[in-house]
Amino acid sequence: MTWGFTMTCSFTMTCRSALALVPVLAGLVATAPAQDTITVLRGARVLIGTGQAIENGVVTMAGGKIVAVGDAKLEVPGGAVIVDCAGKVITPGLVDASTTLGIAGDVNEQGDEITAAVSVLDALDPRDKGLARALRAGVTTVQVNPGNKNVIGGLGAVVKTFGESAERMLVREDSGLRLTMGAEPSGGNRASRGGTPASIYYRRPTTRMGVVWETRQAFYRAIAYQEQKTIPGAPPPPVDADLEVLLRALRGELIVRTTARAEQDIRTAIRLANEFGYKTVLDESTEAWSVLDAIVAANVPVLLAAPSRGIAGDGAEVRWATARLLAQRGVPFAICSGADAGALDLGREAMFAVRFGLDPSIALRSVTSEAARLLAVEDRVGSLSAGLDADVVLWSGDPFDPTSSVVSVWVGGRRVVP
Amino acid sequence: MKPFLVFVAAALAALLPTSPAQDLVAIRAGKVWTISSGLLENAVILVKDGRIEAVGADLEVPWNATVVDARDKVVMPAWILAHSTAGLGGGNNERMQNVPFLTVADGLDPSSLAIEEGRRNGVGVANVMPGNQTLVAGRGLIARYVGRTVEEMTLRERSGLKLSFAAGQGNVIAQIREMRRVLDDAAALKKDLERKREEWQKAKDAGAIKDEEFKEEPDETKKPLVDLIEGKLVGWLYVPGSAELAEVARLKEKYALKLVLILGPRCYKAAEQVKALGYPVVLDENALEFRETDPETGDEKIVSPAKVFADAGIEFAISLGDDGRGPERHPWWQLATMVRSGIDRETALRSLTSVPAKILGLDAELGTIQAGRAANLQVLTGDPFQATSWVDTVMIDGEIVYERSKDQRLKLLFGENEGNK
Repeated sequence: MTWGFTMTCSFTMTCRSALALVPVLAGLVATAPAQDTITVLRGARVLIGTGQAIENGVVTMAGGKIVAVGDAKLEVPGGAVIVDCAGKVITPGLVDASTTLGIAGDVNEQGDEITAAVSVLDALDPRDKGLARALRAGVTTVQVNPGNKNVIGGLGAVVKTFGESAERMLVREDSGLRLTMGAEPSGGNRASRGGTPASIYYRRPTTRMGVVWETRQAFYRAIAYQEQKTIPGAPPPPVDADLEVLLRALRGELIVRTTARAEQDIRTAIRLANEFGYKTVLDESTEAWSVLDAIVAANVPVLLAAPSRGIAGDGAEVRWATARLLAQRGVPFAICSGADAGALDLGREAMFAVRFGLDPSIALRSVTSEAARLLAVEDRVGSLSAGLDADVVLWSGDPFDPTSSVVSVWVGGRRVVP
Repeated sequence: MKPFLVFVAAALAALLPTSPAQDLVAIRAGKVWTISSGLLENAVILVKDGRIEAVGADLEVPWNATVVDARDKVVMPAWILAHSTAGLGGGNNERMQNVPFLTVADGLDPSSLAIEEGRRNGVGVANVMPGNQTLVAGRGLIARYVGRTVEEMTLRERSGLKLSFAAGQGNVIAQIREMRRVLDDAAALKKDLERKREEWQKAKDAGAIKDEEFKEEPDETKKPLVDLIEGKLVGWLYVPGSAELAEVARLKEKYALKLVLILGPRCYKAAEQVKALGYPVVLDENALEFRETDPETGDEKIVSPAKVFADAGIEFAISLGDDGRGPERHPWWQLATMVRSGIDRETALRSLTSVPAKILGLDAELGTIQAGRAANLQVLTGDPFQATSWVDTVMIDGEIVYERSKDQRLKLLFGENEGNK
C-alpha cells in the first residue's frame, strides 16, 4: 500500500516539476539563437488572428516572443533584421485543435477499452512527417490525441509542430482526455462465440450502447475508488492510474474531449457530461447542424473537422453550412483536421468553410485565437499580440485565396520554413 | 403576338428545370473570359438557336431577346473534360485485362450524382472513358452533360480506345510485355486480313469469285484493336510515370499509333521525352501538384508537374477528380493549384476549355466564346480561381441545363434550412 502511495506521489511530483521546467527550457532553447537579434516583418497586411487587420503592418519579434505589432508608424529598433513583406499577408501560426499527428506507430492502444492514463507525449516523434507537413502549411501548434478506437483513449497534449524533442515542443500537457462515442470504438470488435476470447478481436463492446455502458462503468469505478480512498481508518485502495485520470476529469481539472459524429452520439456526449458533471468539448461533430439547440443549451464548444470533405465517418451526414450555423448560434468552435486522412492543410479547410458561407475573419479566428482559447493556450499562441510566442506565418496572399501559399514560417522567433 | 410568345418562353424557362433552347438570348456579362481573345468587360453575348451569334462590348440587345442578367458575374465557356470517368460509378475498371470490345455507352448513367455534380461545377462536355486499371479497357464516348439517356447525352461515339500502363500494380515489365503481346496480336490479325484480301483479289481477278467486294472483317471483339493499329481509332494511353514513357516511344516507332497521353504525376521527370513524342497530353487529376517523398532521405517536397510541362512548352488539358471526395473535383481548385505553381491564368483556363476541345477534335465547335461556336456557357458568381465563386447557370447548346437557384440538392447539402431551428 505504502509503496503504491509513494509511487503516486513521486509520479505526480515528477509531472509537476517537469511541467514547471518545460516553459523555462523551451524559453531558453528556442530563443538561444535569436536572443540578441530582433526581427522585424514589415509591409505586409497583418491579420492579428482576433479579427483585426492592419494594412502595411509591422511585427517585431525578439527573444522568441512577439514584442510589438502595429502599423507603419511603429518604431523599428536599431540593429533589427528587417524582412520586407510588402504585398504579402501575415497571420499567427495556425492552431489545429484536433489531430493525431506526430504519434509514432499506431495511434490506438489496443490493450483495453479504457486506457485513460495513456499519454501521447510518450509516443511523440518530433521528426514525424505529418508534423512537418503541417508546419509547411503554416500550422505551428497542434493538439495531439490518441486514436478513436478506444472508448476512453487517453491523454492528449498541445505541442508545437517544430522542435527537437517532445519536451521542447510541449505547450500544454494533459490538454484533454479523449472519449469516443458511436461505432468507432466498437467497430471491428466481435462477440466471442464459445471458447476463450484470446485476442483483441474479441473485445467488447460491439455496439453504440456498449460504448456508453463502458464509459459509465469506468466513471462509476472512479467514483467508487474515490469513496474507498476516503473511508476513515480503512486502508487506501491500490493506485489505479486510469481511475486517477478519470477522477481529475470528475474534479474538473481535466477537459474531456468527446468524439461524437452522429446526432445520437452528440446527444449522448452531452448527456454523459451532465450525468457525471465533467466538462466536455465535442470533437469531430459532423452532425452538429442537426443538434444546434442541444449544443447551445449545453454550452459546449465544438471542434469541427475537415469542412472540405464530402463524406464523414460513422454514417454521419455532412452539411456544408455547419461552421456558419455554429457561428450564427454563437457556439464556440474551432476548425480542425481531425482523424480524416483526406483532410487538407488546415488553412484550406478553413477556406472551404468560407466557401460555404462562414465569414473569413471568423474562419481565421477558428484556426488561430479561438482554437488556442479552446485549448486553453491563448496565453502562448493563437494571435499576434505582444508577449505571445513569435509563431508567425507569411503568406503570398490572402490565406483563404486558393492561389496563395505559405512563404515562410517562424516558430518561437526562429525561421523554420523555408 | 411575338412579345407575348417571348414572355411565355421566359415564363416557361423560369418554371422548368431545363428549358428548351431559346430562339434568341442575350447575356449581359460583367466579365467574359473568351479564351480566344482575352477578357472582355461589360460585354453582351448573343445566342441564337443554340449557337453564339455575336460577342462584344458594344453590342445592341435586340428587343425580342430573352435577357440573362449577369452584369455582376463572370461568363466563361462551359468546361470540357478531355478525360473523365464521371457517370460510370464505381465500375469503371474492368478486371479482365483485354476488353477492347467494351464501351462506356453501356455503363454511363445519365442521372448519376457525378454528372449532376459536373453540371454544378460548370462542366458542359466530357470524354467519358474507362478507368486506368485495365490494360485495354474499351471505348469512350464524348458526352454532353444533359439528357436522360445515353443517346441524348452522346455528342460523339467512339471517342477512342482506352489503354493503360497502370494495371500491373507497379509491375512495369509485365505491363509492357502484355501491351506488346496485345498489339502484336492485333498487328498479326491485320496482316492476316490483308493476305486474305490479296488472295480474294487474285481469285476475283481470275474469275473464281463473283462477290462484289471483300467482306471479311475482324472479329468484333478484336476490331477496335485492329482499328487502333490501322490508325482509324485513337488510343488514349494512361502512363503513370516516366518509367513507362520509354515504351510509348517504342510503340510510336513500331506501330505509328495515334495516341493521346494521359499522364500520371510521376511523368514530370520525362517532360522532354513527352515533348519529343508530340502526342496530345491530358494531365491526370493528381498530376497538377503532388507530394513526392525522397526514397533516400524520406523528406517530402511538393512537386508541380503541370508547371514542369508548361515550362517545357507542352500544351495540356487537365482532369477533375471523379470520386466526389477530394478537392480535385472542383475546377476552381485545379485552376488555382496551377496558378499557385506559377502557371499563368490564361494557360490554366485553356486546359479546361480550348485545349481539350482541340484534343477531342471539337475546336471548331467548342472551347471559346466566339461567334459561330456552340453556346456552351457558364455564368460564375465571381473569379474562376476563387473558392468563393459558384456556378450560377450552365448552358449547353443554348439550353439552360443548370441554375443554382433551383438546385434542390445543393440546398440540402448546404443545410440552409437547419439554421432556422
